[in-house]
Amino acid sequence: MKQIKDFAKQFGARISLDESLIVRKENRYFFINEKLKKLITRDFFFVGTYLGKTKNGKFFPSFNLLSMIAEKKANKTIVDSKTAWLFICGRDIFKQGIMKVIGSKRKGDYTLILNQHGECLGFGRILHNLDEKRGKAAIENILDVGDFLRREK
Amino acid sequence: MSGKEFFVSRYEKLGWKYENVKPKQAIRINMTNAEEDDIIKRLKSLGIKLEKISFLENGYWVCHSEFSVGATSEYLLGLYSIQEAAAQIPAPLFTDLKDKTVLDACAAPGGKTVQLADLMQNTGAIIALDVRRQRLTALSNQLERCHVKNTIVYHMDARQASRLKLRFDRILLDVPCSGNFATDKEWFSRRTIKDVEKNAKLQREILAEAAEILKDDGEIVYSTCSLEPEENELNIEWAIENLNLQVEKINCYGEKALTNIFGKQLDISIENCKRIWPGQTQGFFVCKLKKRVDAL
Repeated sequence: MKQIKDFAKQFGARISLDESLIVRKENRYFFINEKLKKLITRDFFFVGTYLGKTKNGKFFPSFNLLSMIAEKKANKTIVDSKTAWLFICGRDIFKQGIMKVIGSKRKGDYTLILNQHGECLGFGRILHNLDEKRGKAAIENILDVGDFLRREK
Repeated sequence: MSGKEFFVSRYEKLGWKYENVKPKQAIRINMTNAEEDDIIKRLKSLGIKLEKISFLENGYWVCHSEFSVGATSEYLLGLYSIQEAAAQIPAPLFTDLKDKTVLDACAAPGGKTVQLADLMQNTGAIIALDVRRQRLTALSNQLERCHVKNTIVYHMDARQASRLKLRFDRILLDVPCSGNFATDKEWFSRRTIKDVEKNAKLQREILAEAAEILKDDGEIVYSTCSLEPEENELNIEWAIENLNLQVEKINCYGEKALTNIFGKQLDISIENCKRIWPGQTQGFFVCKLKKRVDAL
C-alpha cells in the first residue's frame, strides 16, 4: 500500500507488506495473517495489526506500524529516561536528552524516538541539524504513546 | 426487594458474613511483550512497590505507587496491563490455547482479550464481540497498545454469535452481570433483585448460544463478578439441565461453589465451580464447562 510505504520512506526505511494481507475498513488499514483472512467477514470493527488511518489525504500511523519501521534500518533517535518521559507527555526533545542518533540528523527529516530499551515511543521532526549546538528544541514531537491516555479523555 | 439489608441477609444465608472491603489494585505482565524480571525491575526503579500474587502466574499486587500505574511508559508500551486479580483467573483455565479459534463473547474493554492473546502467543484467532459500540474503541485501543495481532472485533450481541457461522475450540463467557459492592460504592442503592433476574436471563441466553457454536471437544469458561447465585450457581444448574453441558474440575483460587441455594439442592458437580467472596479481590464466580460426553 502506497501510503504506508511513503510514510516509512520519510524515515529512510523500506517496508514491504504482502498487499493481499492488508485490509481496509473505511479510512483505517490493518495487517492480517492467513488464519484471520479465512475467518474475517466484511462487517469487522478491528482486526489483526492496526497500521493507521487516512484523513483528508494524510496518513496517520499506528504505534504498531512505528514499531515495525523501528525494526528496519531507519532514522532513529535514542533518548535518556527523563527525555523519554517528557516526550510521552507531549514535549519536544532538546539536544541534551539525545543519547544517540541513527540515520538522518538533517533539519526537516522525520525520526523515530526510542527509549534506552530500544522501544519506540513515537516520532518527531528534526527542527535543526542535530550536529549544531543550539539551546532550542531539536526534535518536534509529532506523535507519542501518551496518545493512548489522551484518547480516553 | 433491594437495599443493603436485603442483599447482606442473602449473603449470610449463603454462608458469608458481610464486611466492607477494598480490593487491592493488580497488574498482569504481558509475557509476549516483556521479560517478567526486567519489567518488575523497571517498575521498582520508578518507585512502584509490587508483590507477586500467589494464585496467579503473571499477576502482581500494586502495594504502593506515587502515581497512576496507568501512566508509565511501560504501561503505554503494552508491557503490562492493569487487571483486577480475580479477573485474571478465567483465561488461564482453558487448556492448550495455542493455534485455537477462541470466542471472547463479551469482550470490551478487552483486559481478558489481551490476556487470551498473550496466552496464545498471538497464534490462532480470537473473535471478540461486544454489543456496545462505544466500548469497541476502548477494546481496540487495548489491542493496539498491547500489540495484539490475532483478534477480529465485531460489533455484535453475543446472543447472535452463530451468525458468524463458525465453531469454536474455546469460548470465554465473561458475561454482563450485576457486579458487586466491592467495586461499586453505590451498588446496594442501585441494585434490585429484578436487575439480578434480568441479568440472569440474559446470561442464560448467552450460555445457550455458546453451547450451540462450541465444538464437540471445546471448552467454555463462564465468569461473572456478581455474588448473586441466580447469575452463578443457578445458571450453571440450568445449563447442566438444558444445554447438555457438564462442569469440569478447575484448579484455581476460590472456594467451592454452593450446592445448596436457599434450601434448593443443586447438582453436586457445581461444587467444581469457584466462588470468591470479596476480600483482597472483588467478588467473583468462575467455572469451566464442556459438552456432556453422553450427549455427543
